[in-house]
Amino acid sequence: MEGASYARMPRVKIRELKDDYAKFELRDTDASIANALRRVMIAEVPTIAIDLVEIEVNSSVLNDEFIAHRLGLIPLTSERAMSMRFSRDCDACDGDGQCEFCSVEFHLRVKCMTDQTLDVSSKDLYSSDHSVVPVDFSDPAATDSSENRGVIIVKLRRGQELRLRAIARKGIGKDHAKWSPAATVTFMYEPEIHINEDLMETLTLEEKREWVDSSPTRVFDIDPVTQQVMVVDSEAYSYDDEVIKKAEAMGKPGLVEIIAKQDSFIFTVESTGAIKASQLVLNAIEILKQKLDAVRLSEDTVEADDQFGELGAHMRGG
Amino acid sequence: MTREALLPFECRQAKISYAGKMTIDVCFQYNDGPIIRENINFGQFPIMLQLSKSIVVLNIYLSSELVQSKLCNLRGADPQKLVSFKEEASEMGGYFILNGLERVIRLLILPKRNYPMSMVRNSFSDRREGYTDKAVVIRCVRADQSSLSIRLYYLRNGSARLGFWLRGREYLLPVGIVLKALIDTTDREIYVNLTSCYNEKYEKGKGAVGTQLVGERAKIILDELRDLALFTRLQCLEYIGDYSKNISSSEVLKAFRLVFKLVVGDTRSQRYLEEGNLPLVGLFIVAHYYYEVAEAVLKDCILVHLDNNFDKFNLLIFMLQKLFSLIDQTSVPDNPDSLQNHEVLLPGHLITLYLKEKLEDWLQKGTRLLMDEIEKKSTKFNFSDIVQVKKVMDKNSSKQVSTAVENMLKTGRLVTQSGLDLQQRAGYTVQAERLNFLRFISHFRAVHRGASFAGLRTTTVRKLLPELVGMTPSLPKIFLPGPPEALTVLLDGCVVGCIASSEVEKVVAHIRELKVSSAAVIPGDMEVGYVPLSMGGAYPGLYLFTSPSRFVRPVKNISIPSNGSENIELIGPFEQVFMEIRCPDGGDGGRKSSFPATHEEIHPTGMLSMAKQTMAFSSQTIQHRADQKLYHIQTPQTPIVRTSSYTKYNIDEFPTGTNAIVAVLAYTGYDMEDAMILNKSSVERGMFHGQIYQTETIDLTEQRGRSDRSSRIFRKSNVEKSAHPSIDSDGLPHVGQMIQPDEPYCSIYNEVTNSMHTFKRKGSEAVYVDYVAVDVKNKKNLQKVNIRFRHPRNPVIGDKFSSRHGQKGVCSQLWPDVDMPFSGTTGMRPDLIINPHAFPSRMTIAMLLESVAAKGGCLRGEFVDATPFRSSVKKDSEGNDSKSGSLVDDLGLLLREKGFNYHGLEVLYSGVYGTELTCEIFIGPVYYQRLRHMVSDKFQVRSTGTVDQVTRQPIKGRKRGGGIRFGEMERDSLLAHGAAYLLHDRLHTCSDYHIADVCSLCGSMLTTTVVQPQKRPVRQIGGLPPGRAVKKVACHACQTSKGMETVAMPYVFRYLAAELAAMNIKMTLKLSDGAEAGA
Repeated sequence: MEGASYARMPRVKIRELKDDYAKFELRDTDASIANALRRVMIAEVPTIAIDLVEIEVNSSVLNDEFIAHRLGLIPLTSERAMSMRFSRDCDACDGDGQCEFCSVEFHLRVKCMTDQTLDVSSKDLYSSDHSVVPVDFSDPAATDSSENRGVIIVKLRRGQELRLRAIARKGIGKDHAKWSPAATVTFMYEPEIHINEDLMETLTLEEKREWVDSSPTRVFDIDPVTQQVMVVDSEAYSYDDEVIKKAEAMGKPGLVEIIAKQDSFIFTVESTGAIKASQLVLNAIEILKQKLDAVRLSEDTVEADDQFGELGAHMRGG
Repeated sequence: MTREALLPFECRQAKISYAGKMTIDVCFQYNDGPIIRENINFGQFPIMLQLSKSIVVLNIYLSSELVQSKLCNLRGADPQKLVSFKEEASEMGGYFILNGLERVIRLLILPKRNYPMSMVRNSFSDRREGYTDKAVVIRCVRADQSSLSIRLYYLRNGSARLGFWLRGREYLLPVGIVLKALIDTTDREIYVNLTSCYNEKYEKGKGAVGTQLVGERAKIILDELRDLALFTRLQCLEYIGDYSKNISSSEVLKAFRLVFKLVVGDTRSQRYLEEGNLPLVGLFIVAHYYYEVAEAVLKDCILVHLDNNFDKFNLLIFMLQKLFSLIDQTSVPDNPDSLQNHEVLLPGHLITLYLKEKLEDWLQKGTRLLMDEIEKKSTKFNFSDIVQVKKVMDKNSSKQVSTAVENMLKTGRLVTQSGLDLQQRAGYTVQAERLNFLRFISHFRAVHRGASFAGLRTTTVRKLLPELVGMTPSLPKIFLPGPPEALTVLLDGCVVGCIASSEVEKVVAHIRELKVSSAAVIPGDMEVGYVPLSMGGAYPGLYLFTSPSRFVRPVKNISIPSNGSENIELIGPFEQVFMEIRCPDGGDGGRKSSFPATHEEIHPTGMLSMAKQTMAFSSQTIQHRADQKLYHIQTPQTPIVRTSSYTKYNIDEFPTGTNAIVAVLAYTGYDMEDAMILNKSSVERGMFHGQIYQTETIDLTEQRGRSDRSSRIFRKSNVEKSAHPSIDSDGLPHVGQMIQPDEPYCSIYNEVTNSMHTFKRKGSEAVYVDYVAVDVKNKKNLQKVNIRFRHPRNPVIGDKFSSRHGQKGVCSQLWPDVDMPFSGTTGMRPDLIINPHAFPSRMTIAMLLESVAAKGGCLRGEFVDATPFRSSVKKDSEGNDSKSGSLVDDLGLLLREKGFNYHGLEVLYSGVYGTELTCEIFIGPVYYQRLRHMVSDKFQVRSTGTVDQVTRQPIKGRKRGGGIRFGEMERDSLLAHGAAYLLHDRLHTCSDYHIADVCSLCGSMLTTTVVQPQKRPVRQIGGLPPGRAVKKVACHACQTSKGMETVAMPYVFRYLAAELAAMNIKMTLKLSDGAEAGA
C-alpha cells in the first residue's frame, strides 16, 4: 500500500465541440472520476441566475411568484460566475447581496398599449452589467429578427403592465436547478465488441440478418461483399443485451462478447447556454480540483479526518 | 331607469343568488263572466345558468300560467361573449347560483312511470292480517309530472286490495269496488275481462299466462262485492264516498273526513259554490254528495295518468292479471333495482313539482283568507270587487313561493306535506365542486340511486346488472310456439288493445322501422318494450313508452336494409333487455342462429373515471371567482396518451397533470410502501407547482351586533398608523402583500364606539393577497369585501400524487438530480421513481402500457389514442389484419423503430457511483396528477398548548392546536412492549399530570383547603431571604392539616371524585408509602 501510486494520467479526446454541445472521450481513469465530473458539471459549476425579484406593478394574468419563478429559470450568460463572489461570502455588502461583486441588477418595464398581445421575453430584461445578459438563442444565420424574441416570460393584453427589479446572483445547481449550467451531462462506458467469427460463419445469411436486426440500434451490419457480420458503430450499443439474448435464442451462445471498458468513457455535455460547453467542462475540472485541494490542505486535523476519513489520509499520503 | 343585467359572475362574487322576477297571471272568474287576469309578483325565482327554456309552464285549476321569467342572461352567448361576461369560454351552465355557491340538482333514480311492476316484498305482508308479500305497483305520472303510486296487494283469500296515497297516508280499498265504481259494468263483464287471458282449452303451460285459478279469484273478488251488497256503480261510489254508513271500512273513510272537513262538509263552501265564485284548487274537492267525493278520489288518487275511467278500468284489469300471474308463478317479479325498471328525476320536473305544490298552498291559503273575510261580515268586504279580493289575497305573501323554491335548491330539502310521491326528503341538490373540470362535469352525469339506498347494508342494490351495460341477461328464452294468443299492448300505461302473438314480431319490426325512418309518424325515441311470451319469464306484453325522463342510447338497426342511411335507433333500458344487439367486432357473440342480431352497437366506449381528488387547472376565470377554496396547478400539460372522451370533453382547456418521466425501480428505499421519490431539480423547474386560492368574505351587514350595523366602516386605525403595515388606509390589505400567520389583514372601525376590530389570518403558513373585490354598488361606504388569498403549494415531502391508474403515492424525498439514475445514451434522469412492488397485487397493467405508449408517442411526436375497446370495432377498409396480436406488440414495435428496447426497458447508471445498475429499468413518461391531499393541510404537532377546561387534558383538533389522541390501541401496543416509562410519559406526564393534596386521615381529596400562612416578620428582620412560603393545606373535614400528603395523579381522577361526590358517592383514598405497597 505504502508508496504505491494510483495516480494515472487521464486523457481527453474531443470529438465534437459546439457552443452548447460537447462530446469527448475520457480515457485511463475510473468511473468515480467520470461520475464526479458529471456530478460537478450538473450541480456545482456556478452560474448566475435571478434570485430576488421586487415587483412594482404586476397586472398580468400570472401571479407574482409564478413570474419570479420564470425569471429565475432564464439562463444568463455566466462567464463571470467563476470570478464572482457568492452573496453569502461577500464582504462588500454585508450579506444583503446587492453589491457589484456578488450581484447583477435587472430591470423590466413593459406595458401593453396595443390591442395585440404583447410577449414579454428575456429580451426585455435590462441588465446593469453588459457581460451578464439573458442568453441569446437566436441563430446568427437567421436574419429574421421577429422570430427570436428570447424566452417568453408572460403575455400581456391591452392595459396590462409589468414592472419589476430583479437581482441575479451566483449560485450552484445543488442549491437550485436554475443555477445548473448543464442541460444534460451523461457518459457511457465504451463497449468492446468481439464477434466469434467461427460461430458466426455457421449462421446462414438469413440468420445473420435476423441477428443483426435484433439490435434496436444499428450496431452491426452485414458486409455486402463478404457477407460477414461487422461492427458498424460500437458506441450505438446501449448495453441492452438484445443481441446476446438473440444469439442464445438462436442456440448460439457466445456468438458475440461485449465488455464495457471500465476505464474509458464517452461524455456528452449539453449546456443551457449560460456557459459554453467547453468552458463547462473546464470549470468542472477546476472545481473538482478545488474540492480535492480542500481535502489536501486541511492537513491532518481531527476535523478533516472526521470529514473526509480515509480519503483524507489517502490524499495526504498520495 | 335601465338596470344593468345581473350576471352570474357578479352573483358568485357578491354571494347572492342568481334569480329573476317571476310573475304569474292569476285569473279570476265570476260565474261565467269574463276572466280577469291579474299579474302577481311571485318574488325572485332562481335561474339555472344558460338554460334556453323556462322551467315548465304550469296548468293548474286556475289556469294560471308561469309567465316566462327573465331567463339567464348568458343564454345564447358564444364563447367570446361568455369571456366578456367573465365566464369560462366553455361554460355549459346547468346549475344554479345560490348565495354565491354553485349547486346542481341531482339526477335521481325513480321507478319507471306508468308501468305496472310486480313485486315481492316482506313489508307487504306485514301491512295487515291476510296480506301476502306480493303486489303489483304502478307509479302513475300526470302530464304535469306529478306522480302518485298505486299498489295492488294480493290477499291470502284470493282477493286483492288497491292501496292509494292521500295526504301522506295509504288507504286500502277492495279492488272489486274500484272496478265497479270506475264504470257501469256487470259482474259478468269483469269476470270475462279478468279471465280473458286464460284459455281452458290449452291448459297450463301451453303459452297461456293465466291458469284456471284466475277464474276462482275473479269469483272471490265479485263475491266480496256481493257480501257488501254493492251491485251498482252508484252504490260503489257511495261506498267510497260515504263515511257514515260504512263502518266496516273505516280505514278509507278517515281519509275523506279529512278532505271533507276542509272543503266539503262545510256548508259555507257549498254556499260559495252555489254563488259560483270560489276559486278551487286541484286536490280539494267540493261536492254535494258522497259519490262526487268518490269520483274525485278516483280522478285524483287512482291511476292519475289516465283521464278516462274506461282506461283506468282496463289497466286495473291488466294489473290484476299480472298480479295473478305472479302468484301462479307464470311470470317472475320485476327487479326494482334493475335499470330496466328505472327512469330519472330531471331537475326541471322536480322544480315543477315543487312549484306546483307551493302554488297550490298559496291558493289554498288565499282561499282561506277570503273565506275568513267573508265570514266576518262586519266589514264592508265585497266579494265581487276584484280589487278588494286582491287586497285580501295580498295578505298571503306571494313571494314565499319563490323563496320556498330557492330554499329547496339551497338546502336540497323538500318542505312538503304530501311528500310528492318521492322516496326522500333531503339531498336533492349538491354543491358543484370545481376541484377540477372532470369532477365538475361528473356532477352533471352522475345519477343518484336514492338516499335510502346509500345506507343500505345489502349489496343487492349495488350489483352491476348486465342490462346496465347493455348486455342481455340470461332470461329463459323458451318461446313456446303456442296457439295464437293475444298480447296486451300498453301505451304509456294505457291499455290500447291486443295483438295476436303471431303478429307481434312483425308489428315490433314495423314500429322500429317507423322509428328509424325520418317520417315523424311516431317519436324517434319511443321505447318499444316487447316482452315475448315465455313460461316463468317477465310478464309478456307490448309496452310502448313515449314519456319523458327515460334513458335512451343509440344503436344501429341492422335488420332494416340501409339505404345509405345509418339507421340509428334510440333504444331504452326496458327494451334493450329483449333485443339482440351485437358487438361491432364482427363476431356473433355466441348467438344461436334462431335469434339473429337485429341491432349493432355503435362504439362501445366507456368514460374515464378517477380524478376526483386531483388538483388541476380548475378554472380559467379564477380572477372573477370567489370560491371558498380553489386548487390550481401552475404548469399543467396535456397527456400524451389520451382517450377519445378526453378530446370530446375538451379537457385540454382544463388539464389535470404533468407528463412525468417515471422510472420503476427500488432505488434508495425511500420509495417503499407506495412512497415515491421526486427529482428535486424537476420540482425546482416547476413540476407540480400549484396554489390554493381561498376567499374570505367580510360582510359588515352580517357582522354580529345589529344595533351598530350602519356605523361600521372599513378603515385603518388613526392611532397606531405604523402598527399593521399590511393594511392600507382603507382598512384592506395591499394586493400582492404577503401575510404571516396571526397577522391582521383587514380592519374595521366602529364610528359609534370608536373601536377598531381587525381580522387575523389563521393557519400556519404565510399567504399572499391575490385579489380584493369590493362591492361598489352599495351606498357610500363599502359593506362587503371579498379578499382572496393565495397559498403557494409547491411539492414538499408528504404531498400526494397519482397516475391516472389509481397508483397513488406520497412523496417521500425530493432527491437531488445528480443522485438520480441516468441513462448513458440519452442522459435522461427520471422525474419520479416508484417502487415495482406497487404493481403485482394491484395489476395496474395500464400504467405500464401507458408508459410504453407515451414513450413511443414522444419519440414520434404524436399523441397516442388509448380509447378502450377500440379493437372491438371492426377495422374498415385499411384494417388488413384486425387481429394484430396484443397492444404491447404494437407499442413495442414503435419503440424498436426508434432504437429503444421493445419492452420499454433501459440501462441506467447509478447517479451516485456512475456504475451500471444491474438490471434494466422500466422508464417512460406517465401522466401524473397532484392530489389535493397535502401535508401543509394535515400536519399536526404539539408540545404544550391549550388544555381542556374540565379534564386538563390536551384538547383535540388540528385547527385548535390540539394533540393527536394516544388511544386505547396505542396504549395496548406500549403495554405489550412493556414500555412502562413511555406509557407513563404519554398518558400521565404529557397529559393531565396533577399533584393533589389528599388527607390521609379521612382519605378525601376534595375537602382540602388552603390555609393562609401567617406572616412571620421575625424572619425578615433577620435579613435572611424569606424562605419558600410553604403552602399550608388543611383538611376541611378533619379540621387539621396533620394528615395531608401530596399524591401525583391524573387530573381526571380528581374530576371523577368530584363527579361521584355530586352523586353522593364518597371516594376515599388509602395512602401508603412505596415500601408498604411493594410488600
